[in-house]
Amino acid sequence: MDIELKIGWLYPTLMSTYGDRGNVICIQRRSQWRGHKVEIISLDQNSTIAEMESVDVIVGGGAQDRQQELVMRDLRGAKADTLRAKIDQGTPGVFTCGAPQLFGHYYEPSVGERIDGLGILDLISIHPGENARRCIGNLVIEVTATPLAAELKEMTGSTPYLIGFENHGGRTKLGKVQALGKVVQGLGNNGEDGTEGAFYGNAIATYSHGPLLPKNPFVADWLIQTALRRKYQQEIVLAPLEDELAVRGREAMFKRLRVAVE
Amino acid sequence: MAEKIQLIDRLQLGLAVAVAKTVTFSVKTLRLGAASVLPGEIARRLQPQLLQLLSAQVKRGVILIAGTNGKTTTALLLRTMLERQGYKVTHNETGANLENGLMTALLEDANLIGNLDIDYAILEVDENILPRILAPIKPRIILCLNLFRDQLDRYGEVDTISRRWGSAIATLPLDTVVIPNADDPTLCNLGQQLSQRVSFFGLSEPEQYLEEIPHAVDSIFCPKCGHSLDYQGVYLSHLGDYHCPQCSFKKSQPTLDSRQWPQILIGLYNKYNTLAAVTTALELGLDETRIRACIPNFQAAFGRAEELVVDGKKVRILLSKNPVGTNETIRAVNQMGGKTTLFVLNDRTPDGTDVSWIWDVDTETIVERGGTLIVSGDRVYDMALRLRYSQPDIHQPLNLIVEPNLQQALAIALEKTPAGETLHILPTYSAMLEVREILTGRKIL
Repeated sequence: MDIELKIGWLYPTLMSTYGDRGNVICIQRRSQWRGHKVEIISLDQNSTIAEMESVDVIVGGGAQDRQQELVMRDLRGAKADTLRAKIDQGTPGVFTCGAPQLFGHYYEPSVGERIDGLGILDLISIHPGENARRCIGNLVIEVTATPLAAELKEMTGSTPYLIGFENHGGRTKLGKVQALGKVVQGLGNNGEDGTEGAFYGNAIATYSHGPLLPKNPFVADWLIQTALRRKYQQEIVLAPLEDELAVRGREAMFKRLRVAVE
Repeated sequence: MAEKIQLIDRLQLGLAVAVAKTVTFSVKTLRLGAASVLPGEIARRLQPQLLQLLSAQVKRGVILIAGTNGKTTTALLLRTMLERQGYKVTHNETGANLENGLMTALLEDANLIGNLDIDYAILEVDENILPRILAPIKPRIILCLNLFRDQLDRYGEVDTISRRWGSAIATLPLDTVVIPNADDPTLCNLGQQLSQRVSFFGLSEPEQYLEEIPHAVDSIFCPKCGHSLDYQGVYLSHLGDYHCPQCSFKKSQPTLDSRQWPQILIGLYNKYNTLAAVTTALELGLDETRIRACIPNFQAAFGRAEELVVDGKKVRILLSKNPVGTNETIRAVNQMGGKTTLFVLNDRTPDGTDVSWIWDVDTETIVERGGTLIVSGDRVYDMALRLRYSQPDIHQPLNLIVEPNLQQALAIALEKTPAGETLHILPTYSAMLEVREILTGRKIL
């Protein structure tokens, strides 16, 4: 069977200022390396509803405040409804920093008006003001969301720890949506309640840049696997890839941060 | 430019200078490390108007150089031009470009009672502090090189920075000269808004256009109306020939025809640096023939396309500290046909602690070209992964050597460089200092 994966990339020119295209590249290459066909589709001002409907996995990155506003001005009406429906129905995706802020009910920037979000995730984000400290630094979390944590554990055989780098001014408070995980090192959603990110349907929301996927390749494979299972209505076995660089990089970072992992 | 100083200020200034100089001396004598910031900080506490009092004594005026990339190289070229005409020039050459770094540089050349006997001061200025230091310094010329996104954890948005520059510059005397990069829409717009004297620099060489707009682009929207800009062509990042299809905004005509001028070093970004320095020098009334004479034999600033010979092999160090800069250094290495390249990625404070930006660099071209790639630095595996993920086909050979220890990485890189070829090293800022220290066996700061 010829396998094809369509990656939807939310507003590449507006929402990719923090290296988050690395998540797109990671999914793209890991699929190509396995001989799958990959198409990257920009979901932006110029794209159609049909294009948005066609994608199998969605990636969204961080944005500066002005760009975030431009995105919200465009992401309305049928376009917003389509995206909301896709996430509701379980299209897998990874959304970093600005993207989950937009998926929540609203985001209050440090200056200017509150930006309404899509309300897909039951969360709000507030920037505590220009003088508040940005949350910056290496981030390690243990994934706790169900059923993601169990599925990742089954794939890797060990407790799923994610390594990344947070760099955000806004603080996020979760409502009924479950957290992606608990903070082992760093600040996470708000630096107070020990939660990091959110997980809903098959959508992973996180403050973790880095970008997230290359250093946590099992998450990339989970996204690919989930996308293909939904698309082809059967289990597609992913050929194993040699991930020695990621393994060594993770070991080095755990050691540097003095994080003991099982 | 020189102003009369009140007696009381003079006394305070003298005290501040004396203390600062003592500190510089102590720091250097006791080998405590960088003496480029601390004295200025101490002097600033003693004398709040210090920057103003010192700047006012610079006979022919202060030239400020701001921008994300190219400050040090441009400053050094301009300094060379001025010094070859016999002027005495102060320059914050260590690259310390916050307030206390500027003060330290001026203090260095002041005598013990705070008298400064220099013709020009060339001060490289951090983009965030530029608005704060304009009033005390009262510069004669402000050179605005470019605005790219730099260290993610330290810098604000490009739009915000240029707005703050614009409103601060607008309060300066009308005979202040502003030299913006016409190819950078944000800075071009800034220049067009000012009542001060403005002289643009930029390229007019369509044969240098990139085939596609690189990913690490910050500003492709009209700074006036917010519509997407139409580019006839892009030289690098968002620098190019453009106009707005919606409003009247378009690129201003540069004062010089770039085709009439040779460039220093390698890489198109150094053509920009050359044009910026030349435009400034002409504005200062320097003789054109003598300006030209400075270009061919220009000696690079440390780590900026600097060439060394180590163990009989040529080494070229190309500081690579942000996506745009790194895209350009990779382009230069590709053009030179470099076969061995060493990337050194650190994540210390001067580098920016967030290394996510390497994924905004288009590393694919250098991987595609083959050759030996060596990686090292604090974030050696992040860099290694970036290069590995640049490969569309996993079965293609990738000659990647991962060596966390920099000393060893350098040894391997030199060994892998064939005789007669050049080893290109692309380090972040702190990595560049380490590389130089190892290769030259001495500290530079």
